[in-house]
Formats: sequence, structure tokens, C-alpha cells
Amino acid sequence: MTPSFAMKTAAQSASASASDPAKARELSAALDLLWTRFLPEIRQRADQLEDAAAALAANTLSTAQREAAHHVAHNLAGTLGTFNLTRGTELAREFELLFSGEVAPANTIAGHLAAIARELRTIVDSRK
Amino acid sequence: MPRKILIIDDEDDIREVAALSLESVAGWEVVTASSGAQGLARAVEHQPDAILLDVMMPGMDGPSTFRELRKNPATAKIPVLLLTAKVQTSDQRRFADLGVESVLFKPFDPLTLANEISGVLGWK
Repeated sequence: MTPSFAMKTAAQSASASASDPAKARELSAALDLLWTRFLPEIRQRADQLEDAAAALAANTLSTAQREAAHHVAHNLAGTLGTFNLTRGTELAREFELLFSGEVAPANTIAGHLAAIARELRTIVDSRK
Repeated sequence: MPRKILIIDDEDDIREVAALSLESVAGWEVVTASSGAQGLARAVEHQPDAILLDVMMPGMDGPSTFRELRKNPATAKIPVLLLTAKVQTSDQRRFADLGVESVLFKPFDPLTLANEISGVLGWK
């Protein structure tokens, strides 16, 4: 089978089951329960990004902390949008890209990273 | 008989959301595994209709797991869809070149995930 990319086919493949309002409500309620269950872990990841941004500003960011922050940002980028937090995914993805090099980013962008981490935290905390 | 899907992902939240989505929206049976090694064993044991396989996992990652699935005659023909949060074009090309049926992207929409899979695999 020729590989295809589902992002392109998603809109084309909408069906009755996906547009069933009762099913959508049921799924939404179940997702809210999962969000509540995983919130402590997600908050912990957001904390790690804030800590990494602060360490970069203070010139104390270790390689291990940078790699961990990169991994956590990658996880958040995949997770937040799944819980309908699209802006959260965008911010996490930007953080991930800025931390994706072999070396730490210049500490001149520490303020920007801190702002990203703060906004991410706000988004996480404000989801009901 | 409902479709049976194996989800292999080390992230608990993603695994559970995907499972919830496929079970509640499509009524599919879902089996899960939290690592590549566990996924290989579950694939042999459960013989799913398709496998949703995360790319970035510690230990055996998605591409390595996929290669092992293809090596084993018991799992070689099971369709595999990679699941990734990587959005760079070079990564996407690399994944497509592996020979998987498709690459799905995180974040996914829980409401349409089953339809995406069905569409890609030509399921009605």
C-alpha cells in the first residue's frame, strides 16, 4: 500500500459516528475525566519547562536538564492539542524547536522561553 | 465483529485518550502496550487488525518496533500506522520510507481518529 498522510485525509473521512452529537458529548465528558487524572503530570511537565527557562537565564542549564526539557516539550506538544488546547501545542512545539540543538540556545532568548513557559502554564491551569 | 487495534505508546495520557477515542467513537476493541517490546508480544498474542505505533519511545523506538513486526511472520502483514508529534518534513519522509501504511500526527482529534484510521486503511 502506498504510504499516505492522514492529516490530508481527515477532513475527507468525516462520517456519521464522528458527527453524532450524543457521542461527541460522551467523549468530551470522558476526556475531561482523563484530563483531571493526568493534570498533575501535565503540570509537572509545565514546571520543568519553567525551570529550564530560568536555568538558561541564570546560565546554569545542564545538558541533562536541556534534554529533559526538550523531551517534555515534545510530549506536551503531542498531548495538549489532543485535549483541545491548540495554543498549548503551538507553544510547546516552539519550546521544543528552540531546545532541539546539540547545544543550549543563547541565553538572550531566555526571556522569550520564560514567557512561553508561563503562557503554557496558564493554559494548562485554565482548562476546566 | 469489531475491529481490534493495538496502540503502542509510552505516554500514558496519549495511549488512554487514543484508546478511549477508538472504543467510544468506533466501538473497536483496543489492546495497549507501553513499550516496543511489550507491543511485539501483544501483537503476536492478539493479532490486531491494525497497529497504532508511537515513534519516540525509550528503548525500542517506533521504527525499530516496526522493523521487528515485519520480520516476524506472525505480525508481518498487520497494517501499521505511525503516530508522531514530529512535524518536520524530513522526519515525515523518513517515516513514510519505512513502509508503514500511514503516518498520523499528534495532537490528533479524538473525535475523528477512528475515521482517519478507517480512511487510510480503506475500512468501511
